[in-house]
This record gives sequence, C-alpha cells and structure tokens, in this order.
Amino acid sequence: MIKRSTLAAVSAAALVSMSTAPALAMDYPSERLTYTIAFGPGGGNDRMSRTLVDILKSYELYPNDIVVENREGGSGAVGFSYVKRQAGNPYSATSTSGNFIGTPLVANTDWTYKDFTPIGLLASDAMFLVVRSDSDFGTLDDVVKAANEGRLTIAGSGSAGPERVTASLFAKAAGIEYEYVPIGSGGELVTALTSASVDAVVANPSEVAGQIEAGTFTALAFSDSARSTNHPDIPTFRELGYDFDFSLPRGVVLPPDLDPAVQDWWVETLKKAIDTPEWQEYLVTNGMSGNPIWGDEFATYLEETSADYEAVLKDIGAIN
Amino acid sequence: MIADIVANLSLGLSIAASPEGFLFLLIGAFVGMIVGLFPGFGPAAGIAVLIPMTFGLEPTIAIIMLAGIYYGSMYGGTITSILINTPGESATVASTLDGYPLAQKGRAGPALVMQAIASFVGGTVGVILVTALAPSLADFASSFGPSEYFLIIAVGLLMLTTMMGENKFKGFISALIGFAIGTVGVDVMSGQQRFTFGSAELIGGVYFVAVAIGLFGIGELLHCVLNGQHRQPAKKLRVSFRSAAFWPSRQDYSECRYTFARGSAIGFIAGVLPGSGATLGSIIGYSIEKKIAKDPENFGKGEMRGLVAPEAANNAASAGAMVPLLSLGIPGSGATAVLLGAFLMWGLQPGPLLIVNDPGFVWGLIASMYLGNLILIALSIFAIPLFVKFLDIPYVHVVPVIVLLCVIGAFAINASIVETWILVVSGAIGFAMKKYGYSPAATVLALVLGSMAEETFLQTYIISDGTMNLFWERPVSLVLSIMLIVVIAAPLIGMLARRLSRGKTIAGDV
Repeated sequence: MIKRSTLAAVSAAALVSMSTAPALAMDYPSERLTYTIAFGPGGGNDRMSRTLVDILKSYELYPNDIVVENREGGSGAVGFSYVKRQAGNPYSATSTSGNFIGTPLVANTDWTYKDFTPIGLLASDAMFLVVRSDSDFGTLDDVVKAANEGRLTIAGSGSAGPERVTASLFAKAAGIEYEYVPIGSGGELVTALTSASVDAVVANPSEVAGQIEAGTFTALAFSDSARSTNHPDIPTFRELGYDFDFSLPRGVVLPPDLDPAVQDWWVETLKKAIDTPEWQEYLVTNGMSGNPIWGDEFATYLEETSADYEAVLKDIGAIN
Repeated sequence: MIADIVANLSLGLSIAASPEGFLFLLIGAFVGMIVGLFPGFGPAAGIAVLIPMTFGLEPTIAIIMLAGIYYGSMYGGTITSILINTPGESATVASTLDGYPLAQKGRAGPALVMQAIASFVGGTVGVILVTALAPSLADFASSFGPSEYFLIIAVGLLMLTTMMGENKFKGFISALIGFAIGTVGVDVMSGQQRFTFGSAELIGGVYFVAVAIGLFGIGELLHCVLNGQHRQPAKKLRVSFRSAAFWPSRQDYSECRYTFARGSAIGFIAGVLPGSGATLGSIIGYSIEKKIAKDPENFGKGEMRGLVAPEAANNAASAGAMVPLLSLGIPGSGATAVLLGAFLMWGLQPGPLLIVNDPGFVWGLIASMYLGNLILIALSIFAIPLFVKFLDIPYVHVVPVIVLLCVIGAFAINASIVETWILVVSGAIGFAMKKYGYSPAATVLALVLGSMAEETFLQTYIISDGTMNLFWERPVSLVLSIMLIVVIAAPLIGMLARRLSRGKTIAGDV
C-alpha cells in the first residue's frame, strides 16, 4: 500500500506538470483512471462507487483501465485529502457522500467541497421521517400537534449528522420544539422506534425500507426537493407545507485545477452511465432518489447544502 | 412446527451442501480462521476485503462464504489469546484470562483443543436455537430500546469485577483508565469533540483494537523480556496427535460438561440483542462460571472452565446475532453491518420480509452454519499441532514476530500511523500494568462498554426528560433493573446473613 501511494505521488507530480499542456484535452482519456473511495469496503459510498465503476467498464464508457482504491479514515478526511492533493491530475476521481460536506465543518481538514472539480450529482441521499405504524401519528400534522401539546422525541444517527440537520430544519419550519435523541448505528435506531422508546426517527431510506415494506413503520415525509423515485407515494416536507429540503450529495468530483474540457467529458459520460438499467437498479435497492444535476449547478447545490448544514451545527452548538 | 423446521432446513441444505456452496463455505471458514489469527485484522475487515471478489457469484453462495469468515474468525481469534496473550477482538478478551496461563503451564495443546470444541458446541447450539426460535426471538430483540441496553451493559460492567484479578482496587483503577480512554472522540450528545486535539483520526474515538493489542500483546512481551524469558532455551513440547499431552484429559471434559451448555445459552441470549452481544456474552459467561464454581480462586490461573465458558459464549453469540440480522435487518456488530451492506449489494432488502421473500437465501445461510462449524472444528484440530509448534520456537526469535504482527495489525485498522502510536503508548502502559498487578482486561472491556454505557444512559436521560423513570416504567427495563439490584445486593445480603448467623452461633455458645 505504501509503495503504491509513493508511486501514485510520483506519477501525480509528473501529471501536474503535464496538465498545463493544452494538448491534453484532445486525446483525453488516454490513461488509467484511479477511482478513490474515501470509505471502507461494503459501506454506502463504496457500493455507489463500485456500481459506477462497473458501469463505466462494462459499457466501455471509460476507454482505459480503472483501478479502485479504498482510502478510509477520519470520516472521509484521509481519502478526500488524497484526491485534493492530486490537483491537475485528470485521471483521479472520487464519490461524494454526506461526510464530504460534514467532515470539513467539524474537523480540521485540509480540504472542503470547494477544492474539487464538480462533475455531477447522480443521486441524492435524503431522509424519511418515520413513525411506528401502530402509533397515533397518521400524518405529519399529528406529529406537529403532539409537539405543541407535549413532548416530542425524534431520534437519528449521530449527534451532528444529516439526520439531526433534517430534524432541526423541520422543527424550525413547523415552529415546534422537540428533543433530539442521538443514537449510534442504524440498527439501534430501528430498535429505538420498534421498542417505542422514541416517537419518531429520521433515517436514511435504506435503513428503514425493510420495516416500511413489512408495515411496521410508516414514512410520513421525505426531505428531498422532489419525491423519491422509489417511494413515489411519500410526500415531501415542502408539499406538506414545511418549507425546507435537505439531502446529501451522492455525486462524482475530480481533483482541482482541471481543463474545462475534462469536466465536460465527464458530465457527458456520466449522463450516459446513469441511463443504464444497472444504475436504476442501484437506486431502487439502495432507496435513493435519482434527480441528477450537473457541473456548476452541482457546485451551487454543494454550497447551499454546506451552508444549511453549518447553520444547524452552529445552532445546536456543535461548532462555533 | 417441527415439520416446518425440517422443510426449511432441507431447503437450506440443498443450497448450502451443493458442491459450489461447500467449496465457498470452506474458503470462507478458512479465511475466517486466518483473519482471526491476525490481531487487528478482524472479521469486519476480512469480509470487506473479500466482498469485491464475490461479484459474479450467486448471492446465497457469496453470503455463505462471507458469513463463514464472520463466525470462522471467532475460532481463529482465540488462538492468539491463548498463545501470545493478544486478543484481536473484544469478544476474546475474556479468553485470555485463563487461556494464556494454561499455555504458560505447558497445556497449550489441551487449551486449543478445548477452545475449538467449545467454539463448535457454542456455534452449533447457537444455530440450532436460531433455527428453532428465530421468529419468536425477533420480537424480543425489537423490544430493546436505549434504557434496556443501558441496563444490560450495566450488568456486564458489574460482571467485570470478577475479572479484575486479585486486587479489586487496582482492578477498579484499570477499569477507570478504560473509561477515560473511552471519552475521546465526538461527544454523542452535543457533537463537540473531546480530547481529539484537532486530529481527524480521533474523531471516531480511540479504536479498541490498537489499545488491546498494545496492552496485552506488547505489554506481555516487554514483561517477559524483563523476566529474562528470551534468554531461556525453548521448552520442547514435542506434541503430536499421538501424544497424550496434546489432548485434553478426561478430567477436563468432565469438569466442563455443564460449562459448555451454560456458556452457549448465555452467549446466545446476549448475541440476539443487537449491540455488543459477543463481548457481553463472553464477560457474563465467564463471570457466572466463576461465581458458581466451588473453587473460584483457580480462575485466572489457568482453569479450563474459565476458557471454555467465554469461548462457548462468544461463538453462540455470533450465531445469535443472525436473529436480528435475518429477521429484522438489524446488524449487531461491525462485522454483521458489513454483511448487511453485502445483502444490499446483491439487491436483497434486509428486514422482516427477507425470510418471506427470499427463504432460499435465509435458510441456505442458516443451514450453511451447521456445515461451517463442522468444517471449522476439523480445520482447528488439524491446525492446532502447527500452532503449538510455535511455542517450540525460542522466545528470542518470537519477540520480533509478535511485534511485527502487532504493528501491522494496528496499522491495518485504518491504514494510519495514529493507531500505531496508540499501540506504542498502550504497550508501555500494558507493561506497567502487568508489572504492578493491574488488569488490562478490565481496561479494554471498560473502554468498549464504557462509551456504550454513556451513550445509552444519556439517550435514556433525554427521552425521559431527565427523570429516568424509563428504567422502571418500561416492563423489560423493570425486569432488568430488578436483576441489576439483585446482582448488586446479593453479595451484601449474603455477607449480612453470614454475619447474623455467626452472631447467633456465638450467642448460642454463650
């Protein structure tokens, strides 16, 4: 591993000097691509990245070889930092997920979302507000009413994660007070609700899809700007009159300082990639919503999401 | 009901016992034993690394192999606990307490054979219970919320007192060190960082494995070197299949008869509960065995029952963890979470309906676990002479190998140098603990359980609006609270009763 990274660093240095040559974009891509995954194998980011790389290979969308590398550690800090330091190298790419926005806000990283070349948002990871099907909450308004009349507890993974941001934005839009209960992992989050310990949970669709399908849980609202392509019957918060949306980017970014032609090449290529049955199947099994946005619009989206996230973290006192 | 079980199992066996299924199960079990052998390179990492290699396989076959890695690592993990006093996982910490002293007494062969048998019994009893009880136990697992978790962890923490060794005061200090290390990382409630000094690597807290390898592995090593063990010639054990010293004695078997059963039952129940099932199971299994023994003073000095109980328990727990995973879609540990990720990768939706929609998958996996345990005990028995040979190597040559293994293990966790430094510091602390009679087991287990206890306690505190009435208002919590009180009060009442009756006899004499 160490040997390989030194090699990569040497070749990266070589490429930095090359990237200034204008001829580069003409015969792009002519070399092997290194796809870095900033998280461990088997996780959400890993599943998305490997699905995408498989599509790029099997449909021959990327004409050369692709190497996939997991560089995990520090909630994405290590892997994203590695890609950032590949500045000018058009043969390096990585996938974003929640930590791409969240980690630089809470930790001292040498990168933020601004340091990358944005290609596109391929899927968004938005949240469901879920209650037990045998509870008194039939609609989102019932939840708001319960909060106004008494105490409302909403649980989510982690203390300063996207679940808390969603819950806080909802409470703000509804003008209610609630108690947020941070729960460790996805499994304990599910049992916190099945055991009737909390009133509701905010969760990633893939964590609760099984329970929703079985009829134990009911999703009352979805936090994306449009309804999920997998659960078209569940309304968004905005539709129900709560004026906010929040989702996390499952997208692709490249290192900084690239030729605009490289960016255009990737936008066109990924547009083809998400138009495959394999990608659609990925969206369905992972409970994701596919409303893609591209290039500079993606950059704007990242900026807005980061600002929302930062505001909530300041609000709850997690950061200054 | 019995007919259902038979029908389900035969469906499962038709998948698991196919030549392809058997081949990949064998690979999984073998890889599991190997990853278990390397401290730090646990089942979660082993499964994760092999996931990409399973693309193109039938999902059921792939999961059978990955699950084999998961429970196979429980067999392999104990071998280092016994031979070099280095647990690679929190679930095998309890096995070092008597396993390593057994090896030092020259009984490494019997200890390894007994741990393999205990693993087999625990694993098999666990699978039988999964087969028979999975649906009804799912409700039990889903009734556990934060307050119940806190209480069960508190029981585990109380049980730690039986593992602290001779000096209870030093034991408590050791546990407090563990709690203190557990406070590093993001505070679960506020999201504030505690003691991370701006390091991104410490946001997630100090990872247990690096501390365990340092405290046990490096600490023991330094202590042996201090005692001059490296200057002594190796004691040739010359064990082989044919020598009597290799096999456990008849006395070992007869003493441990009931230990197998108790350990398995305790481990299974702990495993069904998502959370730290195998660790809690091994702690509670060990403690109860010591509590009910007529000779508790022998525990910690190389008592076979002290090895068999936690081993049966942690293997039964790894089977028990299949209950929430398959019937609720809830992972109970890092390794089962990676397995769950693999389910999603193959387009299987984990949840209550998995067993309805994909019965071939679920029963194929369960049936494969029967076969997997058979394969693992066979592999273990064949491999043990090799492992025992390790003890024939002069200690002076063993030292660098262990140090190398420990450093690789710590570095492999996150491929970062931070864990390696944690290992070095823990090694120095472990050496001091060993020299002055403190308990590294208490430190490591307090580190694992302490942060869980903190989280679940604060969750309960928030949910009950600071009143904590959840502990007696919720029925399951109430039962657990009463148990907890009994565990605390029983020794006090016993002491009081003894004092009273002694008082009476003295009064009678007068």
